[in-house]
Amino acid sequence: MPDANPRNLRNVREINRPGILFSVARVPNTACLLVASNDNKVYEVDAGQANAAPRQVVDHGRYVNAVRLAGNTLISGGYDNRLIWWNLQDNREIRTIDAHTRQVRQLAVSPDGTKLASVADDMVCRLWNIANGEPIRELRGHEERTPTNFGSMLYCCAFSNDGTKLATGDRVGRVCIWNVANGERLSTVEVPSLYTWDGTQRIRSIGGVRSLAFSPDGTQIAVGGVGQIGNVDGLSGPSRVEIHNWARRERVSDFQGNQQGLFNKLVWHPNNQWLCCVGGGNNGFILFRNTQNNTTIHQMNLPMHTHDSVFSENWETLYHVGHQKIVVQELRP
Amino acid sequence: MKLKNFCGSPEHAVSRRGFLTSLAAAAGTAAFADMSAIQVLGSPEVANDLRANQKRVIMLWLAGGASQMETFDPKPGVPTGGPFQSIATSTPGIRISELMPRMARRLKDTCIIRSLNTRNADHGSAARIMMRGRMGEPSVDYPDLGAVMAREMGLEGSQVPDYVSFYTATEGRSMSPGSAGFLGARYGSMDLTTSMVPENIRRAGVNEQDHSERAELRDQLSGMFERGRTSSSLDSHNQAYRRVSGIMANEQLFDIEREPQRIRDRYGNTLFGRQALAARRLCEAGVPFIRVGRAWWDTHAQNFESHQEMVPELDHVMSTLLDDLEERGLLRNTLVITLAEFGRTPSINSTVGRDHFASAWSTTLSGCGVRGGTVYGRSDESGNRVAEGEIGAARLFATIYRALGIPHTKNYYLGARPIPLTDPGTEPIREVLA
Repeated sequence: MPDANPRNLRNVREINRPGILFSVARVPNTACLLVASNDNKVYEVDAGQANAAPRQVVDHGRYVNAVRLAGNTLISGGYDNRLIWWNLQDNREIRTIDAHTRQVRQLAVSPDGTKLASVADDMVCRLWNIANGEPIRELRGHEERTPTNFGSMLYCCAFSNDGTKLATGDRVGRVCIWNVANGERLSTVEVPSLYTWDGTQRIRSIGGVRSLAFSPDGTQIAVGGVGQIGNVDGLSGPSRVEIHNWARRERVSDFQGNQQGLFNKLVWHPNNQWLCCVGGGNNGFILFRNTQNNTTIHQMNLPMHTHDSVFSENWETLYHVGHQKIVVQELRP
Repeated sequence: MKLKNFCGSPEHAVSRRGFLTSLAAAAGTAAFADMSAIQVLGSPEVANDLRANQKRVIMLWLAGGASQMETFDPKPGVPTGGPFQSIATSTPGIRISELMPRMARRLKDTCIIRSLNTRNADHGSAARIMMRGRMGEPSVDYPDLGAVMAREMGLEGSQVPDYVSFYTATEGRSMSPGSAGFLGARYGSMDLTTSMVPENIRRAGVNEQDHSERAELRDQLSGMFERGRTSSSLDSHNQAYRRVSGIMANEQLFDIEREPQRIRDRYGNTLFGRQALAARRLCEAGVPFIRVGRAWWDTHAQNFESHQEMVPELDHVMSTLLDDLEERGLLRNTLVITLAEFGRTPSINSTVGRDHFASAWSTTLSGCGVRGGTVYGRSDESGNRVAEGEIGAARLFATIYRALGIPHTKNYYLGARPIPLTDPGTEPIREVLA
């Protein structure tokens, strides 16, 4: 595996887009991106060119929060509570499923490409057979109401690299670890530092678990979001990650970026060289953390609040989507 | 200022004013301030008639600025519309945010006004405008709506306060305090900030008998003091004392634990719900104006998640309050207002927030004097401007006054200067009125 070096990180392209891009998937071995947008659609965009015309692929009729690829199959989910399967090869819809009773927040595809996990604000994680769209099982472990009796939200999910475990994270900082094979809840990790309930000044909350990544050996889970916020009107808290040994329910380490905002995406390098953390507040930021010695390797600003990112196969190119932009970065010398 | 002694003896060297002021402080109210020197013109018959109708207002003050697009003026499908859909309401053709399904089912008593352009997007000054219905001016300290209601609808000899304001969150509280302005502190608000019950309304260990005996002692001492004296100031103090005494005797009004569990459950286990229930109790007891401040809606970031959190609570509390008032026969004489200092921008910023916006936003009037199940005014497709029926704070307040049967052209007098309730030339919105 090539040794992409975060210290070489640099912007190589910015592509302006109207609206907000919440999620991205990449067609293997290409710079072709599928981006989920707040104009209710999923677009195909060639990020290898600065001015390529995007092609509309899917229309949900509502904000699209999540898009993932399994082979030639595109699956997207959004505020319409539905999952849409789309065959990219012949450009046709495969199926549409009323998957949840509230908006779908995020999707994850198992490493073998056979299973899809969807999380939604009905506080249920559902596992699906990607090939036929059949439900496999429901995973219920997140409370529908917050401790102060408001509706909660289930933001994110991630498979372990071997595909045997799945993590889900909610608004109040709860992370559940599931056995994918039988649906058993293996552990519950509480990360309250990522949830701010302001019961004095503003009587509302902000934050939540916004990103998850297993360590390569699957024993640890990195949990990202924003730390405690004094003024919940904005994202004026430190971007924050906690790493937990989920089996022992122990926090192994934690760190905060020097920027205020959310870590919306975590990617743990398969050789355990670093953890890449991407997100944003008023602007965007990216941080590489050495997971061996708990030091920051490199961090830099991004030109927009970034909602999602995806690496190329050789880890040398990184694609970000967010507020009105797609940004391409490279890590090669 | 040299204070007159109460009885002349050195050991009782306390003024009557000081004595009463101490009592007032103990009761946690500001009701002992001087009566206004303002002369109030207008026919006593008209005033008495108005009072006989006992019109009341419950204002749900959405402090910080709730988003009109996530509540009463949704714009699904446009770039600024946000992620939420609109849903049909009980009135054909009127749609509101999907976050408000309960209000959608009971829009029959509510008029939505979607065309406010109040031209001020600063929290503090905008809150002052929207509490008073007008811009301030250096030489006149205008009263807010609560104080006007206290003045116009407070009942002679009432033993309940005339203006109660719940505002528990600390953010924004100082930006929109209740203010009697030139009407004087007699019409000021009883502010409940840290507790649902006026603090120190009755000190621990003071039982009913103690309370009664203290009142008798006060009457005796007061009688001694008044002997041979007559003044409006003395009358004012006596009125104020009777009011505080009445409030102390009616402390259970604030205690929602006296409501059946099913009623408390109905309002929900949130602070806003509990305070709305307390507001209903006060309304039922004859308090003319109650404000329930629900802060803080200033969602510069994560607007949609915050509204997803807060709007269902507003929907639940508002619809429950309207149902409850209706079932008790109170809604026809009670105007329920949702108002804020402004709304929120159609544009969505980089932190998925909406910012301050006063150019095209919404308010609602429900119940007393209002044509329910209607919409007045229209914002344009993107929500950036008023397309039809633009109004400012003055017309809104003229409409509120008319809905309550208060002539909006009525003058107060500050010395010889007439001060109309609303700016001259302001007309209420006839289409909104029943």
